[in-house]
Amino acid sequence: MTVASEPMDKPRRRIDVLFLIGVSIVSLTVFLALFGPVLAPYDPTVATGSYAVPPPPLADWPRLFWGSITGSLDQPPHWFGTDASGLDVFSRVIAAPRIDLTIALAANGLSLVFGVLLGLAAGYYKHWWTEVMMRASDVLQSFPVFISAMILVALAGRSMTNIVIALALLYTPIYIRLTRSEVLSQKVRGYVEAARAIGNSEAVIAFRHVLPNSLAPALIQASVTIGFAILLTAGLSFVGAGVRPPAPEWGLMISTGANQVILGEWWPSVFPGIAISVTVFGFAVLGNALERRYDGA
Amino acid sequence: MLLRYVTKRLLIGLVQLVVLTVAVFFLIRLLPADPISRFVGLNPSEEAYAQAERSLGLDRPVHVQLLHYLGLAPSQGTGLLQGDLGDSWVSGSPIAQEIGTFLPVTLELITISFFVAFLIAVPVGMLSATRPGGAADRGVFVYSLFAGSQPEFWWGLLFVYLFFFVLGVAPAPLGLLSPMTSEPAVITGFITIDSLLAGRLDVFLEALHHLMLPVATLVFILSGPIIKMVRQNMVRALQSDFVLYARCAGLPARRIAFYALRAAMAPSMTLIGILYGFMLGGAVLVESVFSLGGLGQYAIRSILAFDYPAIQGVVLVITAISLSVYLLLDILHAMIDPRVAY
Repeated sequence: MTVASEPMDKPRRRIDVLFLIGVSIVSLTVFLALFGPVLAPYDPTVATGSYAVPPPPLADWPRLFWGSITGSLDQPPHWFGTDASGLDVFSRVIAAPRIDLTIALAANGLSLVFGVLLGLAAGYYKHWWTEVMMRASDVLQSFPVFISAMILVALAGRSMTNIVIALALLYTPIYIRLTRSEVLSQKVRGYVEAARAIGNSEAVIAFRHVLPNSLAPALIQASVTIGFAILLTAGLSFVGAGVRPPAPEWGLMISTGANQVILGEWWPSVFPGIAISVTVFGFAVLGNALERRYDGA
Repeated sequence: MLLRYVTKRLLIGLVQLVVLTVAVFFLIRLLPADPISRFVGLNPSEEAYAQAERSLGLDRPVHVQLLHYLGLAPSQGTGLLQGDLGDSWVSGSPIAQEIGTFLPVTLELITISFFVAFLIAVPVGMLSATRPGGAADRGVFVYSLFAGSQPEFWWGLLFVYLFFFVLGVAPAPLGLLSPMTSEPAVITGFITIDSLLAGRLDVFLEALHHLMLPVATLVFILSGPIIKMVRQNMVRALQSDFVLYARCAGLPARRIAFYALRAAMAPSMTLIGILYGFMLGGAVLVESVFSLGGLGQYAIRSILAFDYPAIQGVVLVITAISLSVYLLLDILHAMIDPRVAY
């Protein structure tokens, strides 16, 4: 180990292309979650007069783009066409992150907070109730995820809040497990011994010292799980156990367009699918880049 | 030694199943759904409501319902202990029998998909493991990250659009056989096996034709994590001492690769098992895109209809199968590598 000479070297900063891609996609999604519904040229939940209009050919896009900037068009173009009930696909695609990302973030935020706190308790104190909790989370983890999410949401009522609670419940054991095993390896470190030696109480050591040092695995996992939560939310709407129409949600859009795909009307389903595909990939890439950075450090 | 390990694992699995069954039983009754009004329609008279409640058995105290379901209350009729999953509230037929017709479709779909995904993933994973960090390895890495994070139902639809509507080489996504085809006699429930047993090659080929797109969709999704796993285990195996020794001894590269692959497979099996268990419920979306009539679609139907006994049955069966698959693979693992069964 050449520990002594290392701190003198400047840390090498490689430009990580994947990391940049991940950050850009995630930022764009966050931006759309904040401003998408405002930027949408049409109301994403109100039908326009034109039904099942295909998107304009690519050759027309520069003209339409110029026209929509200068305001010389009668009405904003339907960039991605309209679906069978006359809703503007483009407006719905860019308004959807407000629902999809909010559900994913809220569910992961909840399960992260509960999971980390319970994981800290389970790792730091060996007690009968922490043992019971670990067995309970074992049982929870052996549930088939998608089916359980469907059961919870369908029986509790199809609302955003219920989707958030259902996902949070199913994801909490992941964070408990990750944090617990990290706490187990952190609590025998020298700094814990040192903190105890200078007279800190156990609670202070657990929260002020062990907790911040045990967060990394859970935070990295969160990036990946947010992506999967988006997939799950979309999947739930696809089978009719998610948010109710006409809410702008990607999975719901794919589902309403699905019957027309066999007839050749691809656009109502294809565009929201591209959005999901790119977004979830972005979160996966970001999570992976963070993981490599953490492991390499 | 092995016997003790298996017995211990079986017991743990059984306890897990019982706990899960009871948990699901209470969970669905705690949620604020009202199955009774689902069955009597809007604005029923009080008598009709009470009648429906009685006929569904929901007027009894919860613990009586649970004991009946578990088969511990002989006065109420048979239950789980007697191998009876109860009757569906929607169709009235026994749930075990209904699951028996839906389950083989799902097992067939995911088993074929795993087989194909494995055939593709092993060489690709090995290739990228031979030169870690090389261009091929990085390309494969990005692919596996991408494939592992995709909405499979959307890819299914995309395949339908491309291969059915545009190219016309795939059948419409409307089940395993076209409605005109007479089904072969049900022996195993697996359409590909039954058609071969009945000597109906035409039905066999038709089923394969209809399975083509759903399998392609699942293979695409599954190939991501499987490639990643094979690569990781392969890299680890290639760095181990026995490979170094084999190199020093001057063995040909091909034989070394074979040794390393064998060492890499053992830990991969466990993950494959977990993935298989996950797909039992995870294939729901693909089944529903192609209307294959699998267990996942049965689950959707039961859940949306608040059919409590059917929901309990589906969760129980899925969990029981995944636990058995884990157990089977762990026993295999323990037989290959006795250190596991301490």
